[in-house]
Amino acid sequence: MPKRRPHYGKRYRFHRHRSRVMKTKLGLPKATKHPKRYGRGFRKDFNDHSIEHKIAFLGNPNVGKSSLFNILSGSHVHVGNWPGKTVEKKEGHFILSDEYFSLVDLPGAYSLSARSEEELVTRNFIVDEKPDLICVIADATRLERTLFIALQAMELTNNVAIIINMKDIAEKECIELDIDLLEEKLGVPVLYVCAFEEESIIRIKKFIYDSLHTKKYTFNPAMMVYSQKIEYMIQNISNQIKDRELLREYPTRWVAFRILEGDQIVKDELAKEYDLADIEIKIEKLSKEEQFDPAVEISKRKYNALHHIVYSVVSGYEDFKETTSDKIDKALLHKFWGYLILTAIFAAFFLITFYASSPIITGVDWIFVQFSSWVLTSLESINSPAFLNSLLVNGVIAGIAAVLLFLPIIFIFYALIAILEDSGYLARSAYLMDKVMGKFGMQGSAFLSLIMGFGCNVAGVMATRTIKNKRERTTMIIANSFIPCAARLGVIAFLTGIFFKPWLAAIIMLLLYGVSILLVLITGLIFKLFYERDDPLPLILELPEYRRPRLRSVMNLTWERTGIFLKKAGAFIFVASLVIWFLSNVPYVKPTENTVLLYVGMSPVIVTKISIAEFLGRGLEVITIPLFGFSWKMVVPLIFGIPAKEVIISALSILHPGGITRVLWTIPQVISFLLFQLTYAPCFATIAVIKSETRSWKLTAIGFFYPLIVTSILTVIVFQIFLAIM
Amino acid sequence: MSENAVMTVKAIKAGFKAIRFLADLGIHEGEKIRIVKNDIGPVIVEVKGTRVAIGRGLAGKIKLS
Repeated sequence: MPKRRPHYGKRYRFHRHRSRVMKTKLGLPKATKHPKRYGRGFRKDFNDHSIEHKIAFLGNPNVGKSSLFNILSGSHVHVGNWPGKTVEKKEGHFILSDEYFSLVDLPGAYSLSARSEEELVTRNFIVDEKPDLICVIADATRLERTLFIALQAMELTNNVAIIINMKDIAEKECIELDIDLLEEKLGVPVLYVCAFEEESIIRIKKFIYDSLHTKKYTFNPAMMVYSQKIEYMIQNISNQIKDRELLREYPTRWVAFRILEGDQIVKDELAKEYDLADIEIKIEKLSKEEQFDPAVEISKRKYNALHHIVYSVVSGYEDFKETTSDKIDKALLHKFWGYLILTAIFAAFFLITFYASSPIITGVDWIFVQFSSWVLTSLESINSPAFLNSLLVNGVIAGIAAVLLFLPIIFIFYALIAILEDSGYLARSAYLMDKVMGKFGMQGSAFLSLIMGFGCNVAGVMATRTIKNKRERTTMIIANSFIPCAARLGVIAFLTGIFFKPWLAAIIMLLLYGVSILLVLITGLIFKLFYERDDPLPLILELPEYRRPRLRSVMNLTWERTGIFLKKAGAFIFVASLVIWFLSNVPYVKPTENTVLLYVGMSPVIVTKISIAEFLGRGLEVITIPLFGFSWKMVVPLIFGIPAKEVIISALSILHPGGITRVLWTIPQVISFLLFQLTYAPCFATIAVIKSETRSWKLTAIGFFYPLIVTSILTVIVFQIFLAIM
Repeated sequence: MSENAVMTVKAIKAGFKAIRFLADLGIHEGEKIRIVKNDIGPVIVEVKGTRVAIGRGLAGKIKLS
């Protein structure tokens, strides 16, 4: 690879300017509407190469697309979200012969019919950004299925190249491919590789380079020929819509197909300037006459064409063969053992996440305590003002600590998820839990989120990434706040230990857990009402073959996702910690002897005078005493518990110097406090991930206020009942 | 339907969204599929080299022969 020329700030600015000009020249259709959103389709890290190619990676899930993308981009991977979407976006680049190849990894999709958010993102990208080359990644062991999306892409653009992955597995199964014949039949360049071989990297790079440069390949993708009736209909539609504005951007034939397939998005776009009623009647007539759904018929024809092509190209492939995966599944998906193994695996998952991270957290915490006391002594030795010292140590350093203390959990959690995902078990767990979760109107994939929530809501919310259905994902993100995390369990254990006999404490703990699960399920039902018109698609889930998890892909996945957490949630947690510092440190009235110690996160000590927090507590007492039975000494810990639940216990003990006794709190008060703290608000870190996962301030606000309102109502009712009977 | 049997899809009587989704996965009229698992919970079928789990309700709407 050529050595990169050094870049200078000036050059960078120049090129940024140039790239903007280039973008307008390209005339991207949506660029005028959302310049910021769509203009950045391809990220430019300072690019001082005169020739730039835009390459998009397209393919089914589980074909090794991301591994290919990662080995090509090396360390130049940038992970983010698609503008306004919750779908992950990965960008990277490589340089060959002084030419710059920017890569975008499109989300895994089975088709370009835009039925799910992933498919919509994928299609929009191809349609709007017009990449110079679309690399379709296929699986050598499942060519027919994985080439389907390639045929769809070929209808849309001529710039398609196919990379067939999994050469190693195909060779092990004695499957042979005639690549030249396949190239000839499809009319696009084809490469056959194994993503895990070192030499593949340069082969793929060269292949992409050749596909763009040499005349070796004639880009003439095999056009699908459909039945006479369909072709006639396509001709008909094409003639009617030919001169429309929209069609300057897209191939006419493709738009005609979308209309015939009943693609709502394309139809809505066209309907703005053209009345489609006429065409719709014709389509309806056609499907009645022929007794088919045009969309199904078109898919079927594509598969049939592919079947013939693949049949002539592949030898040694045995259909419907019992594989090793099938044998493993006999045990892992067994109606009894399967569930036992599932329980064992997730119990291990849960324990490893929280136990393996706890010594690291303690270590990080210890380092921060040492560091902040060192900073404090050195600041005091140079006589800097106390206010500044406190801001630096208890505000800034504590804020950074609050972020870093979450990292071990997040990192281990993601590493374990990546292992489960890479091995193929994650899909199986969703399959197994589908029956159980289905009783509560949720799909199996929601299970992981529910389980993880009991450890930490941040992990729980992040686990919703495995849920494909948007309604269920949103539900689980919001409902996660109702699941008592380990920190709240601590509060329950602490208070029940003081007030109740052990057996009663255990019963109360179970009851509280029952209440929270009930709230999750009720939330599921409530959200169902709001999203009713959304897709009620039944479960259709691909179960990939079992594979040994690869260290490289596991590490890649883990780093990428941890990075997103640091960037998105980290800033939020840091700012929130500063806000709390101001609330508890800026004195509202003149400081008195009355000093209060509080912990933020698990780290340094804050010294408060009569702060805004206490003022708030005393103010709220007016309402909280009659409604919930909370004195200000109970309210203040709850306020401090909003950023991090760990604070509640320490705040309680500090505000009750003589210890909490039965004299101070009545039983209804205890019950009310336990119930309220169980679900009243997600911690700041959870709010931060709700924001970064949903990308919506509205849902984030719901995520905060909905639990607060529901819990308040519930607590008032329970407290009043207890007050009346006791 | 017994496990391991290779059957041909005769008809799918489900909502149009589900039918189209299945068609994109290669499950449509005339296609041969193998039933991998059919005891409790979703039914697993093999089609075009991939195992796909289909919710029991929907699976019941796929007529095989």
